[in-house]
Amino acid sequence: MFKLEAYNKLLVSASVAAVVALSVAGCIEGSATPSASAAAGSLSIDGGVSYPVSNNKTGNYYVNPQTVGAKLNNGRVPNAAEITRWDTDLQPVSELSPEGQGIPEGSGSVEDGETLYEAQCVMCHGDFGSGGGGYPALSKGNAVDLQKTLTNNRWKDPEADGPVRVFGSYWPQVTTLWWYIRDGMPHPFSDSLSVDETYALTAYILNINEMMIDGEEVDDEYVLDRAKFLKIVMPNVDGFEPNIAGANALPAVRAYFGKASNFGGQNLNQGAVRCMTDCQKPTAKVKYIQNGGIKDFIPAMATERDLPKKEAAPLDVKKTYTDSCAMCHSAFLSPGSGDWAGYTPKGMDKVYANGIKGTEGGMPAKGGTSLSDADFKTMVDYLVSGKVK
Amino acid sequence: MDNKKSQDQNTIDRRDFFKKTAALSATALAGTSLLANEAAGEGDPAIMHHTKWGQKWGDPVTKNQYGIPSAYEHNVIRRSTKLLASGNFRASIAVTPMHESKGIITPNGLFFSRSHGGTAHVDPNEYRLMIHGLVEKPIVLTLDQLKRYPSVTRTHFIECPANGGQEWRGPQFNSVQFAKGFMASAEWTGVYIKTILEDLGLKPEAQWMLAEGSDNSKMGRTVPVDKVLDDAMIVWGQNGEALRPEQGYPVRLLLPGWEGNLCVKWLRRLEFSQEPWYCKEETSKYTDLKPTGKAIQHFYANEVNSTVTSPSPEIPWTDLEDGDVVEIEGLAWSGMGTITGVDLSFDGGKNYVEANLKGLVLSKSWTRWSYMHTYKKGEKLYLTSRAMDDAGYIQPTIDQEVGVMGVEAVYHRNAVETWEVTEEGKVNHVQIRSV
Repeated sequence: MFKLEAYNKLLVSASVAAVVALSVAGCIEGSATPSASAAAGSLSIDGGVSYPVSNNKTGNYYVNPQTVGAKLNNGRVPNAAEITRWDTDLQPVSELSPEGQGIPEGSGSVEDGETLYEAQCVMCHGDFGSGGGGYPALSKGNAVDLQKTLTNNRWKDPEADGPVRVFGSYWPQVTTLWWYIRDGMPHPFSDSLSVDETYALTAYILNINEMMIDGEEVDDEYVLDRAKFLKIVMPNVDGFEPNIAGANALPAVRAYFGKASNFGGQNLNQGAVRCMTDCQKPTAKVKYIQNGGIKDFIPAMATERDLPKKEAAPLDVKKTYTDSCAMCHSAFLSPGSGDWAGYTPKGMDKVYANGIKGTEGGMPAKGGTSLSDADFKTMVDYLVSGKVK
Repeated sequence: MDNKKSQDQNTIDRRDFFKKTAALSATALAGTSLLANEAAGEGDPAIMHHTKWGQKWGDPVTKNQYGIPSAYEHNVIRRSTKLLASGNFRASIAVTPMHESKGIITPNGLFFSRSHGGTAHVDPNEYRLMIHGLVEKPIVLTLDQLKRYPSVTRTHFIECPANGGQEWRGPQFNSVQFAKGFMASAEWTGVYIKTILEDLGLKPEAQWMLAEGSDNSKMGRTVPVDKVLDDAMIVWGQNGEALRPEQGYPVRLLLPGWEGNLCVKWLRRLEFSQEPWYCKEETSKYTDLKPTGKAIQHFYANEVNSTVTSPSPEIPWTDLEDGDVVEIEGLAWSGMGTITGVDLSFDGGKNYVEANLKGLVLSKSWTRWSYMHTYKKGEKLYLTSRAMDDAGYIQPTIDQEVGVMGVEAVYHRNAVETWEVTEEGKVNHVQIRSV
């Protein structure tokens, strides 16, 4: 069993290392910089300070010593079915875990995935995963090629191409995609897809990212299953630091964040200087907000201390459509405006009722708006009328 | 004077009053002092006339059994912007009005709100927390059982690591609410996870903990056990009451000083494992791409940071007179420790003086700082603040930070902020940089 005392010993040894580092830094710097070390306790895994309990205090806070190490026997042991119901996460293949964790048996084809995508995903993620409507793109093209854009950086030339960070080019593990599709998608009605449907959508997204599995292209005929899934290696699998895999991950993470230069930090104990006079490079210039900047604040910025205006704003049909309906009901999507024949056979009252209540796997209640029933019906009439076009 | 006449008089006075104050506000903006009107012998109408609230009964104490702010404060609110409005404002953020923030506590209704699938409304009677994986004994707790653990109360800020993240390539928001308001601070009450683990027994090979929410995005993050065994908390109290739904009612994870995203809301499950998880919000997002093409993952702590909060673009110095003595006020904070000092520059970071800390100075908490300034009419200033913490960190210049991180990182930008005060006393968000 993991002992808290062992952890505290670890902190103490880290603390000793910190003190050594501090005294060395003091020699190098030799400036009038006020010592930042006085209150410093032990170094944490994040490179910061922790405040172990000492004399019944942690930092400025008193601690009830009776609660330290107290063993309270609350709650109950969950049964296996309960754990299985919630333990739906996936973990990738690794040295310690050659089969990954939680990756279920099942399969799905690119073809089925595309059908599902067109029915449940395209309204937010766009054609072929191109993005739009405020939701992320799922592909920008060939994953291997686009992974090479990750060294693009627009610091010298703002007009240059930036890095492309989509699933294929950026994500380190495919398990993330599978897990998120099943537990988090589709966004308005999550946790509603089967294992095979999730494999199918994963296959389709691999396809539009032009991915290979074990030397084989994920083409339009491809059928993905668990065995093939375990062999997927993402192009950017080695694109992240610090290394978090393996049995000795935590010391590696601790070492990484112990060094300020790894993450653009400036640490007075690691050679940084607290400059008080003539600190700016001669090349430094004032950079102003360009083109007015971002100012579409909702609501608009105001600081007056007056009484709020009482009258409710009348329904702005076009604005409401743009803000709240267009993302899914844009003119070219089913049930696109003016193309409602298949949706109105039971009469408009049924359409209103479905819209107000929402439908399973489709329309969120009132489209996720807080419109009154009357205003909501006005919006339905507007969509059905085809005036959107 | 009979009642009727009194009321009429009052009504006329009030109409008159509003007309006059409107006129006075306009002239004040034009640089004319209120004193001129007072000197003319009329006196300040706010003093000279009856007020509406000064004679009649106020509300009975039975009104607003949960209190609400004065109606006059209706502009002190969270705000959003389309840029950050994914998913019809369901995978989105609403930010704290920093220009109106006071002290080191944010009122619960103004606490910034970020979600990945909308604000979930959890029934506390159906709330369950499951802890399993590499523990000797897994458990499931109801809310009442969770609250039976001995509680601790701590004041900590929570900051989205994208606070200021839209401005790597240059300033974009002429607003301290949007430039720095992806954060807020509260006094949190809950239980240390290490207290619960005393009973469950963590297995020695456990290195990581998955924290997962019960919202529709099942927001999850991986946490190293070092933090779990240090100061990680499961909290249910926020500023003396239950968490607000926007902060994860009834229960969220609190990792003091670390990315707000790691402080998983609507918390339902903690699982311990030897290997990490690679959740969506710690791979696709919340990773910092460097010019080397490598991205920092598991970037936990919000580093030392600070800003001027007064003056601000929202509440500028346009009404100051020559020689007025005015307080420049700001906040400093560090997720890596305790603030040890703040320096203030009037020339955009060329030269600094020491500012004064004030109030409580707590670890991983907002810390107020202050500097008294004698305003010179027509002066142009570039106010830059720079904080330090007890881990030895000092805020980098933009050049220093961009030199390592490039401009594509999105998260964890903590270089010094500069606020230009124009000759007219207006305030603009600017950056001083050579890259």
